[in-house]
Amino acid sequence: MSTNKVTSDLLRGNTDTMILRLLTEADRYGYEIVKLIGERSKGEYELKEATMYSSVRRLEADGDITWYWGDESQGGRRKYFRVTEKGHATYAHNKTTWAYAKRVLDTLL
Amino acid sequence: MNNRLNEYIDGIFATYEGTKSVGELKADLLADLQERYRELLAEGKDEETAFEMTVDSIGDIEETVQEVSQLSRVLERKVVTRFDSTDLRGSDFAGVVARDGKFSTSALRGSNFANADLTGGKFKSSDLAEANFDGANLTDAVMTTSELKGSSFHRTRLVRTDFSISGLEGVRFADAVLIDVAFRKTDLRHTIFERCTFTGVDFSISDLSGLNFDGASFTGVKFDRAGLEGVSMRGAILRDCSFRGWSKKYYRALATVNFEGARMDKLTYAALKGFGVAPANVTVE
Repeated sequence: MSTNKVTSDLLRGNTDTMILRLLTEADRYGYEIVKLIGERSKGEYELKEATMYSSVRRLEADGDITWYWGDESQGGRRKYFRVTEKGHATYAHNKTTWAYAKRVLDTLL
Repeated sequence: MNNRLNEYIDGIFATYEGTKSVGELKADLLADLQERYRELLAEGKDEETAFEMTVDSIGDIEETVQEVSQLSRVLERKVVTRFDSTDLRGSDFAGVVARDGKFSTSALRGSNFANADLTGGKFKSSDLAEANFDGANLTDAVMTTSELKGSSFHRTRLVRTDFSISGLEGVRFADAVLIDVAFRKTDLRHTIFERCTFTGVDFSISDLSGLNFDGASFTGVKFDRAGLEGVSMRGAILRDCSFRGWSKKYYRALATVNFEGARMDKLTYAALKGFGVAPANVTVE
């Protein structure tokens, strides 16, 4: 129970970077992001819609991503998110930070 | 397609409705959930299971909605202080109450003021291009010498609103009742008026050339010294309207106005006739 909590907090704390990673590959819309994270983690991590939108909003406010209307017929127009120049830099920075934290934790735990 | 999903989301968002950003979040979320629900059904899940799984994928949305609506409230609070001379391009003021708000000399390009109460607001010399004022209340608002290019006024409440000497190219007024609104010395050649009624509106010294006012209703409207070349007022209703000019050019232009099928009171008709303009096919009442 408590292990799960720690794990999910740790994962959730990196949502912004996960989303940035997906957007460095291609522009994507909300459900696509949630779905890809589920698939890539082979169901180990389920990103909730609420967490995703809260993250997207933060990234947008920080200027890491922008959005535009796609023109899809099925299910109406979708908002596509795109990573900005700043977002690319943020992603690279977060990756480095994580590599560093991982190395330190590996020696300590 | 899926009413139950819609109702569920309506229920969650019910207490937070009203701001544009919350509305957008709701629409985005609903689109995602519908796609997931469709996929689950396609995988062979029954409706009940698909619904439960879809709802479960939302997580703690209330927290996110609160974040979003708080963001909008921060903007609302700022309004009562001052907004003079600030850069607020693309801001969301939808539904806010900002009576006597001070927005003069501000960059507000593309801002959304839909359904906002902007009574008595000062928007002098501001960049309001592409702004949305649909459904807003602009009673006593001052929008003189502002750039309003491409902005929208659909069902906007316009009482004593002053648009004089502002840039109104491509501005659209639709389904609006304009009462004592001033458009003095304004270039209105590329402004669009659709299904509007005009009471006490002042078009003095403005250029209305080529405008289409077919079927519109004018009561106590001033067209004094206005450019009226090629204006169409077919089927319009005119009561106590003033057409006064001081030049031959004005009357030559007035003669080109198409009053076909218009209805007007004796005073307006007599005024036109007195100036040598005798519109044919009009009903004088």
